[in-house]
Amino acid sequence: MTKTIEGPLAGHTLTTQADVPIDYQPVALMPDVRVLKLGGQSILDRGRKAVFPVLEELVAAKDKHQLLLCCGGGTRARHIYSIASELEMPTGVLAALGGYVPRQNARMVQMLLARHGGLFMLHDDFEKLPLYFRLGCIPVMTGMPPFGYWEKPPDHGRIPPNRTDAGVFLTAEVLGVKRAIFIKDEDGLYEDDPKKHPGAKHIARISAGDLLARNLPDLVVERVVVEYLTRSRFCKELQIINGLKAGNITRALEGGDVGTIIHA
Amino acid sequence: MAKLVTGDGRTHIESPLMRESLVDRRVMGRTHSEHEYEILPEVTLVGIGGQSIFDRGREAILPIAEELGDGRGKHKMIVGVGGGTRVRHTVAIGLDLGLPTGGIAQLVGAMEEANAILLNALMAKKRSMVMMREHFWELPLYLESGMLPIVISIPPYHFWEPPPEGGPLPMHGPDFGLFIVAEVLGMKRIIFVKDVDGLYDRDPKKHPDAKLIPRTTLPELEKRMPQELCLDLQLFSTWRDARHVKRVQIVNGLRRGELTRALAGEDVGTVITRD
Repeated sequence: MTKTIEGPLAGHTLTTQADVPIDYQPVALMPDVRVLKLGGQSILDRGRKAVFPVLEELVAAKDKHQLLLCCGGGTRARHIYSIASELEMPTGVLAALGGYVPRQNARMVQMLLARHGGLFMLHDDFEKLPLYFRLGCIPVMTGMPPFGYWEKPPDHGRIPPNRTDAGVFLTAEVLGVKRAIFIKDEDGLYEDDPKKHPGAKHIARISAGDLLARNLPDLVVERVVVEYLTRSRFCKELQIINGLKAGNITRALEGGDVGTIIHA
Repeated sequence: MAKLVTGDGRTHIESPLMRESLVDRRVMGRTHSEHEYEILPEVTLVGIGGQSIFDRGREAILPIAEELGDGRGKHKMIVGVGGGTRVRHTVAIGLDLGLPTGGIAQLVGAMEEANAILLNALMAKKRSMVMMREHFWELPLYLESGMLPIVISIPPYHFWEPPPEGGPLPMHGPDFGLFIVAEVLGMKRIIFVKDVDGLYDRDPKKHPDAKLIPRTTLPELEKRMPQELCLDLQLFSTWRDARHVKRVQIVNGLRRGELTRALAGEDVGTVITRD
């Protein structure tokens, strides 16, 4: 006979959400943290000219807000995805390879922020966040979620669907943070890639459902993030701001609706 | 040689994905090709159920350990273990405390690790070993020297578990976790060892009239997906876009010899094929 521990889920398959006889009232773990993503291609690959003013704005806000910085990948990630795709590697391998680049970027940002309390952290250090904030530090980590080799293949192509945008959103979600802030080099969401179509129309506020219904060929954030937003419990808004314009980050940290808000 | 390209304020490395939005469907489609490289195609993944085998203790575990020991050397195998009733207890307490889904996903792997240690203690003299996550690149060494690597099943999504559909339970469970390991390594088949004869149209433990499905295909199964499954739903939805796994078999580990026959390629239990 099975040696079962008594309880409301004893014998449950855990493969269905049905028959879960528990009154679930989720707790927000650290709702006041500001979860921010520093774009890889959009900010970090621009070097000093873009990175220094962005970090300056963040440092100025660090005693007022708890800042968790997550870094994107950028052109080196594109390069390795490109070579690995040519070698017909599985998506999980691409995800593992792509993980190295945002970690490098996080280390770079940590070095620059060291004298202001910048702290490089790995996924395994996540539970130490309360300590880092209590000490007045600015934790810096990769934006990539830890899926790596376990990333699901997409329905077409082999680029991992969950990359640094997804990781940032999921970080905000588990911390119980309402809004995840994405610092990029555009004023937010457009109807097409504004770098290639300068006349593309800006969208200031849109719901995730409407955005998915529009079925745009290109988006400013990873598609899975918009899908997650339709069923998240805590993180209900994505804010995409232009970090190249001074003052945007400060306004976003104060809760101002700059850029584009994609809401649940 | 790749060149560095500047001129738009950013420094790019020349590549077919340079400057591109990796969200653009047209760009992502360009990375598609029919074929995909197989990393370790000759290996079989064997998943041992937590609730169905381990929680039964000695009477179920010892015979399975013996069959695994006999199969080692004849087949290149990786063994995955589930967590069972202690996982259910963890999830029940976690939900009652209101922990976020990602927090619950972070906790459950520990219960599987304990089962991996148990199985390894039993099988160490048959050359088993607990392989750490992501140590895939040591597999050629282990497999060529006739070792039997034991891994935990749950994928390392941890705090970053995506928001589930329709309820608070993490969606990426142990069966999915093993499936994706097999898939990324280019493996062709997975054998799940459970305490039922295979896949049924309903949960046979609750419905005595449930019908066994001895052989089916993924498209057929998707047309009539049973409500209560002995495998994670995510396994099937991921299989649709997968390229390597051709065969998922479910056998009854309580029947002596079934795992051995499945390893030899026999159609015991339920055989689900990709097409």
